[in-house]
Amino acid sequence: MDLFLGSAEQGLIYGLLTIGIYISYRILNVADLTVDGSFTTGAAVSIMLTLAGHPVLGILLAAVAGALAGIVTAFLQTKLKIQPILAGILTMTALYTINLAIMGNRPNMSLLYQETIFTGIDEALGRWGELVFCLLICVVCVALVSLFLHTRLGLSVRATGDNEDMVRSSSINADLMKFIGLAVANALVALSGAVLCQYQQFTDISMGTGMVVIALASLVIGEVVFGWSKLMLAAMIIGTIIYRLIYALALQVEIPVMYMKLVTAVFVILAISYPVIVDKIKLHSQKRRTNHAIGQ
Amino acid sequence: MLSVNNITKIFNKKTVNERVALENVSLQMEPGEFITIIGGNGAGKSTLLNCIAGSYLVDEGYILLDGENITFQKEHKRARYIGRLFQDPLKGTAPNMTIEENMALAYMRTAKKPFSIGISKKDRDYIRTRLESLGLGLENRMKTKVGLLSGGQRQAITLLMATMTTPKLLLLDEHTAALDPATAEKVLELTKQIVRENTITTLMITHNIASALDCGNRTLMMEQGKIILDLQGEQRGSMTVEDVLELFRQKSNREFDNDRVLLS
Ligand SMILES: Nc1ncnc2c1ncn2[C@@H]1O[C@H](COP(=O)(O)OP(=O)(O)OP(=O)(O)O)[C@@H](O)[C@H]1O
Ligand SMILES: [Mg+2]
Repeated sequence: MDLFLGSAEQGLIYGLLTIGIYISYRILNVADLTVDGSFTTGAAVSIMLTLAGHPVLGILLAAVAGALAGIVTAFLQTKLKIQPILAGILTMTALYTINLAIMGNRPNMSLLYQETIFTGIDEALGRWGELVFCLLICVVCVALVSLFLHTRLGLSVRATGDNEDMVRSSSINADLMKFIGLAVANALVALSGAVLCQYQQFTDISMGTGMVVIALASLVIGEVVFGWSKLMLAAMIIGTIIYRLIYALALQVEIPVMYMKLVTAVFVILAISYPVIVDKIKLHSQKRRTNHAIGQ
Repeated sequence: MLSVNNITKIFNKKTVNERVALENVSLQMEPGEFITIIGGNGAGKSTLLNCIAGSYLVDEGYILLDGENITFQKEHKRARYIGRLFQDPLKGTAPNMTIEENMALAYMRTAKKPFSIGISKKDRDYIRTRLESLGLGLENRMKTKVGLLSGGQRQAITLLMATMTTPKLLLLDEHTAALDPATAEKVLELTKQIVRENTITTLMITHNIASALDCGNRTLMMEQGKIILDLQGEQRGSMTVEDVLELFRQKSNREFDNDRVLLS
């Protein structure tokens, strides 16, 4: 039971990260590696402000910091014409130093006996408090992002990822749309890191490492399991919860933690290249049949 | 209206691949004029349209639209009053968005409020009546993703999008060349109809000399980055395709060559 509860809570928190990746990877059509840095930035901002007695402000400012990171990446991509992947890597690398600076040059910090955003609701609802609160945050974020995607601005961002040629010859400023898209995506990523920090009560400078791949795995699971519904944002959250559940079960059967990243990476490779692999297999069997038919 | 003054466009300047695509080209257009442009491969037709639309900045000369200097204006800014269609039907629409979402994007061309709802009921009704005017039955498939439509259907939608809010200038670059003959005919008819109904000032590149003479009221012929012939009025009215080819021979001392040309 604790295993399910924990996975659901974490799934809801990391779900925001997955929605962020959904915006950059699926909507804007760029693999944005800023995420590995901006996730930690969110957590770093969150822990510093929580320690100073402002947990809610910590969450909000974390989102702002994430948006700024996204804006830097967008600037590198659009104005300085650096390839999207490299732009993300550069920002992520720079963020490592900045994240350390935010945490006062300490590689990890914890929050013992500090008041967090969860404190009040925990007292009121007991063991269900955290789940309810995470769910609440998720619902609010999903509603806001979904509204955004249906505004004129949101439509323009989607069009930019879908057909840049078209956008260039329409009156939409494609560069500006990338700024907005990456800012929103990384704000969500940082928000996810910020909530996670107060949930697990510590921040580690390397907690963002590999987050892109984990989020992609959750995204793929979400699309496969719930993508038919067209409620893509909800699908992202559900995908993340399932990923967390699998992760927890794997730990339960004592697969060492260090294997998990390898397993996740292989899973993402298979999931993304699945159509190519299927084509190859089909072509191979077609060749065999043809050769057989003409007697060679 | 549109005033192009001595523009020159040189690609790969000061390299071995230097190529003068436009050389001192000037063109004055009256409001409501419909100009067709013909010319061989590499004559500079597309480059001229790209310079007017702002995809390329010119190396020399200047461009005015309704008296305003747009020579250095960004492409997306010019797009507010210049509508465009390309040869490739895939270029003009977003495949993973629905018909109505695509149309709505064009509809907000002039609207400012970015946070208002993307497609209101009023927008939807307007989009439906516009789609009905195509006569292709697309008004019943407004929630279909554009990627599922045929090239001709996509080009027809792009045409509607480009003219949704009447542009000051419409630029068509062989926009029917990738379609099968019957569909091309249909899209061309729609183009003429929309241009006529809204009296849109239009520049249309075509490889079809017959339709160049048939559409619009003025025809330009380009060759090696220059406008070598400007047909209008009575002279144009009495021209046949043969006459045009003969004129080209006289002007350039060679045969008209365009790999997509249709002499029918
Ligand atoms: N982006 C570019 N970079 C370098 N050279 C270019 C570029 N675009 C066009 N050119 C060159 O400029 C010249 C004019 O090209 P343009 O596309 O305007 O010809 P066109 O008249 O449209 O021909 P077509 O009938 O084949 O479409 C050609 O020699 C072409 O190779
Ligand atoms: Mg051309």
